[in-house]
Amino acid sequence: MRFDDLVRIHAAELYRYAFWLTRESRQAEDVVQEALLRSWRAFPQLRDPAAAKAWLFSIVRNEFYRSIAKNGPPLENVDDLELADEGVSQPGLEMREALMRLPPSYAEPLTLQVLGGFSCAEIASMLGITEGAAMTRLTRARQALRRLVAGDTAKERRVGKP
Amino acid sequence: MNCLDYRRALLAGENETRAMKEHRLQCTACGCVFAEHAQFERELRRGFAVPVPPGLEHRLATAVTSSRRRFLAAAAIGVLAVGAGSYAWLRRPDPLALACIEFVLMEEAKSILKGSMPRAEAEQALAATVPLARLERIGDVRHVLPCPFNGQTAYHVIMEVPQGKVTLLVMPEGSAAGRAKREGLHASVVPLRTGSVGVIGADAAVVDSVAGALRSSRV
Repeated sequence: MRFDDLVRIHAAELYRYAFWLTRESRQAEDVVQEALLRSWRAFPQLRDPAAAKAWLFSIVRNEFYRSIAKNGPPLENVDDLELADEGVSQPGLEMREALMRLPPSYAEPLTLQVLGGFSCAEIASMLGITEGAAMTRLTRARQALRRLVAGDTAKERRVGKP
Repeated sequence: MNCLDYRRALLAGENETRAMKEHRLQCTACGCVFAEHAQFERELRRGFAVPVPPGLEHRLATAVTSSRRRFLAAAAIGVLAVGAGSYAWLRRPDPLALACIEFVLMEEAKSILKGSMPRAEAEQALAATVPLARLERIGDVRHVLPCPFNGQTAYHVIMEVPQGKVTLLVMPEGSAAGRAKREGLHASVVPLRTGSVGVIGADAAVVDSVAGALRSSRV
């Protein structure tokens, strides 16, 4: 497979992964761009084309942590939240807001699972944790999200009351 | 599989296995949990699906392409640098050319003080290597004197060319080539059909010019 084809196939999901790491669209794009430049240089070393997706996600993750080490943690951008809200129904919007509040240690494995479609074993390998720890984080992430979404809904109900 | 295992696996988000499916089809309560979980997962996917900025794929492809060009250009420069390094190594100061410079620095004054040999003798001495008449087409020959150099009897020649003064060391034996620079002097050794000539001067361009003239008038 050519590198250009990899970019075409995975650009959107890599951007979304980077967005949920950075929570900021411009920085997400920068992270993906830098990651793709690095991956292009390392592409000849990729021996198993089937592993290309996990390889690219790992490079995006490494690039994100490199950018944090260099520039500090990302700042939340209100415009990005508005942009991210476009075209999302109310339940989806509540979920997005809940995801924004999810601690990174829970959000990251969940992002890899939902966006990347990776198994617990693959996520564990990418994050450098045990498979059991990955399953625990994924379970707790879903429980936390359920609480956050349920809390928001209950709050809205209370606010809506005369 | 029991209800607890089923719900644990479901909450971890793992794909439904055959064992899980069998349990769900047998257990009404877990069937309800599954339906609610499926709805939650749909919302989760919608929540994660932030819009991709327009033109992202094109921008990324362009960035990779331009980086690729820069990378290849840098790689080409690297190859050239390595090549140039090798070339510079190959063209490191030639010992014979350095000896020519050394002669000018240490022996030229003494040779001049001894005075030039008579023209007839000079014509005869230089005839086999580079005829005097041929040298005079390049510049005015002011001084010719035999001198021990590089294990042979060479001829020390001082010439005045339009751009300035140059020294020649005409070596009847051996054919050599090389270049060197030291103490503000440049030397170029030109191989001839018989023997070689060392051209030494303060100006590299003048040295190259005279060396080129000698090369083009090889005898």
